[in-house]
Amino acid sequence: MPPELSDPADALAAVAALRRLADQLEEAAVEQAMRDGWSWPEVAEALGITRQAVHKKHAKRLIEAGVSLRRR
Amino acid sequence: MAAIDHYLNSVIQQARLEAFDDGSATLEAHHLLLGIAVVGENAELIAAGLGYDQIRAALQEEFEHSLQTVGVSAAAYHLPKPTRVGDPPTTLGASAKLAFDRAFAWARRKKDLRPVHLLLGILQAEIGTVPRALALAGFDRPALLARFSGEPA
Repeated sequence: MPPELSDPADALAAVAALRRLADQLEEAAVEQAMRDGWSWPEVAEALGITRQAVHKKHAKRLIEAGVSLRRR
Repeated sequence: MAAIDHYLNSVIQQARLEAFDDGSATLEAHHLLLGIAVVGENAELIAAGLGYDQIRAALQEEFEHSLQTVGVSAAAYHLPKPTRVGDPPTTLGASAKLAFDRAFAWARRKKDLRPVHLLLGILQAEIGTVPRALALAGFDRPALLARFSGEPA
């Protein structure tokens, strides 16, 4: 068990680090899913966000990376 | 373009690459610090034990330590590194803006701005990733400020 967070500086730093880790995980996981043939709606549903949001955030990068994307 | 403008431009360009490699949408103070460590005017940084590799290691330690405080291990995930293509970010994040504000405050007038002022602006932050990383790595930030500013701590 991690120690109880009594120092707000530690708690706030943890929030920043978790956001960064979440962003890194999202980039890697979305790319892996699309390489495995997942569709945008499937990825969006798994992340709990809209298809437009996931497309806007990742499509340009994945297209430039040469990932072949399913349209639906 | 004045020498200081060339210098700041070089630091920012390097910081953009650091942010890009980090997967960050914005340039933050720790990216600027890495930029300074790469670009030059960094002999004093290295003499103080703050070379590029040391800064990177300190930042990674801060990241892992902050995650550990809530029981998360960054090393527990083994997804492949995402492909990074396109343009590195250009937007300054809040910590970088503060660093520049403080750098200009050190210089008082823009024409007096020197490379060390950006470093001082970064080191002046008492809260955030850079001071935490320095503290965890055993650096005395007030002593570094005194050393680089030439003013007593």
